Amino acid sequence: MRTRAWIPTLLLAAAPLFSLDAQGFPSQPPRPTRLSPVRFPPVPEATLPNGLELAVIERHEQPVVSMTLSFRAGSSVDPAGKEGLSALVAELLSKGAASRNAEQIAAAIEGAGGSLAATSEEDFLTVAVDALSDQVPLAFELLGDVTRHSTFPASELELARMRAVSALTLELSQPAAVAGRFFAAELYGRHPYGRSPTRESYQRISRDDVTQFAAQRLRPGGALLVVAGDVTEAQARDLVHQAFADWHGAPPHSTAPAAPPAKPATDILLVHRPGSAQSHIVVGNTTIGPADPTYYPARVATQVLGGGADARLFQILREQRGWTYGAYAALHRYRGLGYWDATAEVRTDVTDSALAELLEQVDRIRTTTIPDSEVAAAKGYLVGSFPRTIETANQIATQVATAKLLGLGDDYLRRYRERLSAVTARAAQAAAGRLYRRRALTIVVVGDAARITDRLQAIAPVRLIDLEGHPLTAAELRPLGASSARPVLDTAQFAAHRDSSRVWLQGKVVGFLVAEVRRAGDSLVYAEHSNLGNGALDQLATVLLDPADGAVRQVDQVIRRPTLTADTHVSYGGGRVHGHSAAPQEDGTVKRYAIDTAVPPGTMDESAVPFVVAALPLAPGKVFTLNFFAPLENAQRVLTFRVSGPDTLTVAAGTYRAYRVDGTGSLVPSTRYVSTETPRRVLKTEFLGQPFVVELVK
Amino acid sequence: MTPLPRGPRRPRADWLRSSALVGALLTAAAAAPPRLAGQVGRITYEAFSLPNGLRVVYAIDHTTPVVTVDLWYYVGARNEQPGRGGFAHLFEHLMFEGSAHVKKSAHFQWIERAGGTLNGSTHDDYTNYYETVPSNRLNLALWLEADRMRSLTVTQANLENQRATVKEEKRLRVDNQPYAPTFRDGVTWAFDSASCFAYAHPGIGTMGDLDAAQLADVQAFLATYYAPNNATLAVVGDFRPAELRRLVNQYFADIPRHPAPPPVRCDFRFSPGTLRRAVTDAHATLPALLRFYRLPPHADVDTPALTLLTTILGEGESSRLNVGVARRAAAAEETGVFRLEDRRGPGVLVAYGIANQGVSAERLDSLIAPELDSVRRGGVTADELTRAQNQFRASFVHGRETTLGRAEALQHYGLFHASVAEVNSDLERYLAVSTADLARVARQYLDPANAVVVLVRPQPAAPAPAGAP
Repeated sequence: MRTRAWIPTLLLAAAPLFSLDAQGFPSQPPRPTRLSPVRFPPVPEATLPNGLELAVIERHEQPVVSMTLSFRAGSSVDPAGKEGLSALVAELLSKGAASRNAEQIAAAIEGAGGSLAATSEEDFLTVAVDALSDQVPLAFELLGDVTRHSTFPASELELARMRAVSALTLELSQPAAVAGRFFAAELYGRHPYGRSPTRESYQRISRDDVTQFAAQRLRPGGALLVVAGDVTEAQARDLVHQAFADWHGAPPHSTAPAAPPAKPATDILLVHRPGSAQSHIVVGNTTIGPADPTYYPARVATQVLGGGADARLFQILREQRGWTYGAYAALHRYRGLGYWDATAEVRTDVTDSALAELLEQVDRIRTTTIPDSEVAAAKGYLVGSFPRTIETANQIATQVATAKLLGLGDDYLRRYRERLSAVTARAAQAAAGRLYRRRALTIVVVGDAARITDRLQAIAPVRLIDLEGHPLTAAELRPLGASSARPVLDTAQFAAHRDSSRVWLQGKVVGFLVAEVRRAGDSLVYAEHSNLGNGALDQLATVLLDPADGAVRQVDQVIRRPTLTADTHVSYGGGRVHGHSAAPQEDGTVKRYAIDTAVPPGTMDESAVPFVVAALPLAPGKVFTLNFFAPLENAQRVLTFRVSGPDTLTVAAGTYRAYRVDGTGSLVPSTRYVSTETPRRVLKTEFLGQPFVVELVK
Repeated sequence: MTPLPRGPRRPRADWLRSSALVGALLTAAAAAPPRLAGQVGRITYEAFSLPNGLRVVYAIDHTTPVVTVDLWYYVGARNEQPGRGGFAHLFEHLMFEGSAHVKKSAHFQWIERAGGTLNGSTHDDYTNYYETVPSNRLNLALWLEADRMRSLTVTQANLENQRATVKEEKRLRVDNQPYAPTFRDGVTWAFDSASCFAYAHPGIGTMGDLDAAQLADVQAFLATYYAPNNATLAVVGDFRPAELRRLVNQYFADIPRHPAPPPVRCDFRFSPGTLRRAVTDAHATLPALLRFYRLPPHADVDTPALTLLTTILGEGESSRLNVGVARRAAAAEETGVFRLEDRRGPGVLVAYGIANQGVSAERLDSLIAPELDSVRRGGVTADELTRAQNQFRASFVHGRETTLGRAEALQHYGLFHASVAEVNSDLERYLAVSTADLARVARQYLDPANAVVVLVRPQPAAPAPAGAP
């Protein structure tokens, strides 16, 4: 099945009218009939003598059973410095137990058509088992085995650690994840909800830590087992007794967590991500405990503000302004203090506008009456969609477990729709007023600080940090991973040569590009002249380099369009770059920069990228990470080049053996094919997502 | 705030991949898997028809106050004519553009504000549209479906709009994706255009055909296929039969029937001889191997055995292809087997592999082909059969846990089986399959002479001109 991306047009304001003709086809949609009650089967619960709480929901319509066993052993009880321990324990529970090794556990459950998995989040570690109802004894046996008798083989720990670190690395390259981590830390400070695992914290975790965590915390006291599906309460009790006989104890008492910091005023934590094409914005604050009845009006208000494609943030920031692919708001509940947030990922150059608009919408929902139509639409969605979330045994088990673990009350699920339906527009507005702390908001922006710091300062005070969390001053916007090592270039590639290429756009030649390496006086020169559309765009860049090592000394660039000429001139030396640049904008204006900034040693100029790529010591599998400065944006970038090949490539100029070099970190990732023989030439250049190709002809 | 970062989505049985001792899986002294039996997934249903030919099948379930309305029109890629490929899919898009009493995009908004979900999809043999809504909005879902069945808004503007959208979708999901164009074409190469155009052309169409679509074609298509006598309405969930009958009569009964659509013909042969092709793929970075085998229609007696054979050969971590080719030979980044089999005509089994770095498509085939052959020569073990049956049974049951799942099941049996009643007896056929059956269907349908073998080589996309100066 394919999902559709829907772009709603106008809000439908009219409520449905009565059918015009009860006999014929109605010209208006029919009105809703009476809402059926959600019939929740009784949930007999008992606390067993060993402290385990057992809840059984009998549902015999389908021959399936779903079980979740939850412990108060989530990431919030990770020891300081060993964040990620709970997650690793969860991962390892199914990797070997007393009676079966990892493969045998998998074969047993999979071969019976079931599934078993353990996960960890802030408050709880949960083991979940699904099975057909005639396999319930096996499911209980496995559940008991992995929970109580896991062996945590050392080899499995190493494998799990390695994968966790890889996944973390991938995650940290994603702005949304980076924003989330800093946002949590800002909201919660030293409270456990504010911590996140790091590579170091994963490395510090020993096998003893794992076994001790499991031994101490996976105990029946305070744990909850929910069984939903085609099993009777009596059967479930019997199987629990068998699987968990002689299981005793309770986890150690946790010390009260540090209180989250009180925030005196709204400010912006700006995390510098050099070269970021978009900014990721998160706005919010801590709110209420899970059982606070303000939840219901707040939920409606949050739905109106940012619940989906029909909500204000999406409609305004995306549909009206075109600033973002999506903007949303949500309420989050923990066992402790929860929070709300609004998020959007926006084009860099509209970061300040989008943030200002977002804050404007927060003000608006707190201070102005919410129209009945919007309240009705929000409640319609929230109330209407609820039954769909309890159709299957698995869904029921999860919902019941959540309600109990968060202490939402025994009638939570039964009365959910009724309590939401009772929310008035005024109550929703008041809840927004109380919960969205406009004067003390936490705002985190992950983006290219070089381009947005000043404009954000007009909205609220800005604290600037790098991706590792170290404070930065505006003058020293250092790119991540800046190393003091100069890129070592292969001087054999400095031999003079001249390459002519054609620029293709979807099968047609639209221009040419000539690149030349030559000596001039005591400098090595790399010159690049490109002309597109018969003069619609003409660009000449001349880079002066040190012939000993290819370090850039000076760059001159002239961009000509029919109506303007833009000159750039910068010099490099003494750890700084200075000069001026002029960058034509899409709207026909020219943006000018006065440049004077510190740069890490070895920084190259962006105009020299093709020269540098050809002169790197290329070999298959190699990865080069280099610092570049882009005068046309007055910004520093870290570019990464990955080499593969060599392979055979045919271009207009002939057939060659060529390396493929994939470059990322600039606004548009690129792929360059570079001939293997000296002097290396750039045979072809492609740009990700763009229809242009540059290909060597001579 | 972020839970343990998980790597790229992995299938649930991923623990197996993690262990270096996976070979032990096949030799571990574990107990034989349990043999599961019993009557499961039973659906109690009723059916009736309107005078205009609309069939209605329904099942009551008051457990949860939701209802799914699921409408199948018996039109798909198989009904398209040469020069008009992609029409059924284009038409599916047009169905969301509004009707006499429903503005463009309003269908979606009505359903979402009621707390429901909706979707639609185009297949070879049918096109389905469904909504799952709170049970007090059954009337809304039925009314929306009736309005577009009776009075779809067909204008040049809508046609242009959706033509462009469908072409973009083709670019996004097929043209710009590695392997997709080859897959889409490969399933058609098993059949001959002249004798079986129905399955010998891709359902996504070609840009040329899509551009050639005229308003008159659209109106003719509508008149031929989007008619009550060419559709079945399935309704499952929390409602009263009397209420359903009243609403269906009020909304659908006066929609006129249309002449029966023309029949579709497909003549083909099994095992005409191996067909080999080599293609280059502009977006692929790794070589790939695709093997297409002709299968009998879904209603054939061999379908259960073929289903279990597919599981054993190529579904999940312990499948033969995954263990032999991906893990032990370390030759494939990904490998598996699946089938296109919800067809009244012949189906296709696809065995595929995407090569690891440094492995050619030829080498990959030299590893995959023997695995397929291994069942032809040596059959399967009783354990493999039991595990596959257990996995099938679990997916069978899980597929019927929701109102949507049950509605789709009723529709499936109504179209692809001799009788809807088989919805409750079909599982037994799967549990009755023997190891001898599996060896036989493997010998018959995985015959090399029945294969279209496609080697895919990556090649950069370049408008490299011939003889440029």
